[in-house]
Amino acid sequence: MMMAWRIARRELRGGLQGFRIFLACLALGVAAIAAVGSVRQSIEEGLTREGAVILGGDAQMEFTYRFADPDERAHMDRIAEAVSEAVDFRSMATTNTPDGVDRALTQVRGVDAAYPLYGAVTLTPEMALPDALRAQDGLYGGVMQQVLIDRMGLAIGDRFRLGTQKFELRAALTVEPDGAAGGFSLGPRTIVSLEGLEGAGLLEPGTLFDTEYRLRLPQGADLAALEQQAEQLFRDQGMRWQDARNGAPGVQRFVERIGAFLVLVGLAGLAVGGVGISSAVRAYLEGKLATIATLKTLGATSNTIFAVYFLQIGLLTLLGLAIGLMLGALAPLALFPIISAQLPVPVAFSFYPAPLAEAALYGALTALIFTLLPLARTEQMRAASLFRDASGSAKLWPRPRYILVITGLVAGLAAAAIGFSGTTFLATWTIGGIIGALGLLAVAAWAIKALARRLAGMRALRGYTALRLAFGAVGGRSSEAASVVLSLGLGLSVLAAVGQIDANLRAAIQADLPDVAPSYFFVDIQTEQLQPFLDRVQGDAAVSRVDTAPMLRGIITQINGQPAREVAGNHWVLRGDRGVTYSTTAPPLEEVTQGQWWPDDYAGPPLMAFAAEEAAEIGITLGDEITVNILGRDITASVAALREVDFSNAGIGFVLTLNEGALAGAPHSHIATVYAEQEAEAAILRDVAGDAPNITAIRVRDALDRVADALRGIAAATSYGALATLITGFVVLIGAAAAGERSRVFEAAVLKTLGAVRGTVLASFAIRSAILGGAAGLVAMGAGALGGWAVMTFIMDTTYRFDPVSAFAIVIGGALATLIAGLAFALRPLAARAAHVLRARE
Amino acid sequence: MPVKTLLIARKTPYPLEDIEAVNLTMADPILSLCDAALSLEGNAGRVDILHGVTLSIDKGETVGLVGPSGSGKSSLLMLLGGLERATGGQVLALGQDLTTMSEDQLARFRRQHMGVVFQSFHLIPTMTALENVATPLELAGQRDAFERAEAELDAVGLGHRLGHYPSQMSGGEQQRVALARAAAPRPSILLADEPTGNLDETTGAQIMDLLLGLRDKYGSTLVLVTHSRELAARCDRVIRLRDGRIDLAPSKAAE
Repeated sequence: MMMAWRIARRELRGGLQGFRIFLACLALGVAAIAAVGSVRQSIEEGLTREGAVILGGDAQMEFTYRFADPDERAHMDRIAEAVSEAVDFRSMATTNTPDGVDRALTQVRGVDAAYPLYGAVTLTPEMALPDALRAQDGLYGGVMQQVLIDRMGLAIGDRFRLGTQKFELRAALTVEPDGAAGGFSLGPRTIVSLEGLEGAGLLEPGTLFDTEYRLRLPQGADLAALEQQAEQLFRDQGMRWQDARNGAPGVQRFVERIGAFLVLVGLAGLAVGGVGISSAVRAYLEGKLATIATLKTLGATSNTIFAVYFLQIGLLTLLGLAIGLMLGALAPLALFPIISAQLPVPVAFSFYPAPLAEAALYGALTALIFTLLPLARTEQMRAASLFRDASGSAKLWPRPRYILVITGLVAGLAAAAIGFSGTTFLATWTIGGIIGALGLLAVAAWAIKALARRLAGMRALRGYTALRLAFGAVGGRSSEAASVVLSLGLGLSVLAAVGQIDANLRAAIQADLPDVAPSYFFVDIQTEQLQPFLDRVQGDAAVSRVDTAPMLRGIITQINGQPAREVAGNHWVLRGDRGVTYSTTAPPLEEVTQGQWWPDDYAGPPLMAFAAEEAAEIGITLGDEITVNILGRDITASVAALREVDFSNAGIGFVLTLNEGALAGAPHSHIATVYAEQEAEAAILRDVAGDAPNITAIRVRDALDRVADALRGIAAATSYGALATLITGFVVLIGAAAAGERSRVFEAAVLKTLGAVRGTVLASFAIRSAILGGAAGLVAMGAGALGGWAVMTFIMDTTYRFDPVSAFAIVIGGALATLIAGLAFALRPLAARAAHVLRARE
Repeated sequence: MPVKTLLIARKTPYPLEDIEAVNLTMADPILSLCDAALSLEGNAGRVDILHGVTLSIDKGETVGLVGPSGSGKSSLLMLLGGLERATGGQVLALGQDLTTMSEDQLARFRRQHMGVVFQSFHLIPTMTALENVATPLELAGQRDAFERAEAELDAVGLGHRLGHYPSQMSGGEQQRVALARAAAPRPSILLADEPTGNLDETTGAQIMDLLLGLRDKYGSTLVLVTHSRELAARCDRVIRLRDGRIDLAPSKAAE
């Protein structure tokens, strides 16, 4: 081993010339993963460190439909140094215009004087929040986000209404310190004072609103203990606890998911780099054929030789990892201003060892996987090759132990990816996809070579010298086909899959859904307002359908007497409050998948129908006892039926339906969906909201646009990830083109000697590049379509449609990329004097 | 004694570990081929290069292999050095059957008993002259590899160029390094494939003097392939090859 080390050191003294591509591929892949991991960790660290600011307090107790009762308030005052009360709900802001009335959906927050406990509200023009909200001349003030001000055409000093209460717009809301905690919301923010809201008629019993009590706790308060205590005392009354340990669980979950996904996309980039690493090592070892043969002649064993090159590659791998980690750690720091401007949450940029270690592990495993095969070939290099070209006989399979080791390493990499990402499903699919795509591309490369060989020999091509030469080169023994198709193809496949999925999702949300979805959701319709509302919309010829349902909100607290979270973990149905409805009439028979709906006049103990798919996921079966907390009251009902609920068409769909008697007397409002022609939408909104200002209208098209916006952000992030993959692919491409330069110089010289003009030679080079790039693009298109189909069919549960625009772009992009890389390295061969080249070759 | 009888008598090989213990008398052949054949699979199909060659070379003998291009001289040398595996017959070196050894066993055998010199030197380009010469000694586990390598380079008149790389040396100098490298482990067998083929006449003569000097110094057996009549004339015996067979017709070189 010492001997091998000494020889390896001597070999490396020559510099890193043959290894620029190797280093670039490894460093790029590792850097991308390290950077994504670092950013993710920075955001999570920021969320943790600034948890209290994001949440608006060290802890928060939240209720739905009601304010805290005296007992609850007393508990808060006991444990906290200060308590801030706020109410949060969706509503319509309205303003009078010369043409009538303008309305916009807004997320209203009513605050007390203590708000905010942490952080600061920034207003434009600059003023203190209490001054902005205080009553002046009998008129309360309010602040709105600029986007809402613009939408409503307001100016500072104008008036607007929430419900029946008038407010004066005093300033634009620039920074809301606790703005991120709420997560996804449909309307821009309006802040007013709690007193101001009192006369608005928006906080009536049955109206949907949340109250949030932010607590400032004494230094060093034990959050876990306080949580447990509060849960014990008040959970059954519908209290929800949140604290600074995780100020924005929605954001945190999102960051975790998207971070994990981007790391997986990064793995694809590393695999592309692996192709480059592999061909760099192969080329290096081919150049070392004479040295290896000489060492064998001098008595070096196969093991010594393997060790010599394993050590060299190992050292270079360490160097590549170091460069990659450095780039990956520095990139987020350098891009700090750009990244933090894009994010609604504080980001704590720093140096985090954990994501770097993860990236290093991936990098090291990838380098090992892709270098072992070419290294194993050194064993088959014969001493006799010093006398004659014996490389033809070295195309044997490596010994089984290498195949075994490589298989083990791939399994290790997969296990690491699954472990680190925390999502077995996604990681397994992604890694399976990468391996599948690599396999597909390898087969494609082989097929392209075989086809090119056949075409090169075709009689029909005689006379088309450039084309025939191009086919001959692609099909020939030293063809670049394998590395070009593999590297470029994998990068393009990722991009193609992202393109297909993005196009399909957007088509589903923006093109297909509006056709089947309602125009409006109306919420908070009071019982006495229901009939006038129905009279208005049902009488409209442009309205094709109206659905209404009673609407309450409740939290599932127990399943069969056990705390629900202990039974079913973190299922979305158990997270926060859900809509609950009651029904007197049974739904169409085919909707009930199991059990029996209660009779219309049922008056027995509470019964419940549960959404079938969600019941199966949670493990709820007929006869289970579910406890739901509604308005602080526990209702335990037994599951009588499972029901098919379609959430995909944005209609009314409730996970929980109870019999009417179970909810008797509970104050509640109604929800309605109105299906109308687009032209009639404005008039309906004007009439309904004009008659009943407390009713909130949500225009489905606007909501879908918001969802599409969010999707576009995710698609953009994924595309950046895919882009990193593509850049690596391009580096590999350049490496392949550079490696082929010497043989092209020779080829060009021979061709010129035989009378070929430079145009012919250039055309031949261009055609072979375009063939390979186009082929890689075609395969990528297929792989991307396959990936898109799998995601849409198995994950999104919708139909897949091939998107030709992004697919076409991929093929053209592939051909162009190879063409550029190929032609960049065609200049020297063209310029070289034939005589010089040929004499040097002798 | 007819060669064939001798070979059959010596057919049982010693265990490899005991190679050093092999003790040959002056009369024993140090190298022998019995009906050795070599064919290779090329792009154009199977090519027969050597057909049933039988010969034996005694310890301390200097043998020249001559013949026209493509006659199989170099291939025969490769068989003797275990660099190429015979596809038929038997190749014995120091009583060991090379045809039954693995690549690694052959490598170990070479580093203990053989030195090889090539026409195009085959120095390792990333190593200095000193390191090139020290490499076989290091591979054989010699602690004083570098001291010996230095002495060896001194002996070929390159004591002043120890730190130079092959690319910084002339052809003659490179071949002197290669000679030093081949001779450094004091091999009992020296194989040289046209050692002067890439050199001008004067330099070639110097190299030949050095090679024969090394043979005398270490009492090695020397087998060399050459096109040069002068060189062949300095050998104890000349074997002519034609079309992969030993040509028994009287030759000028042997006269």
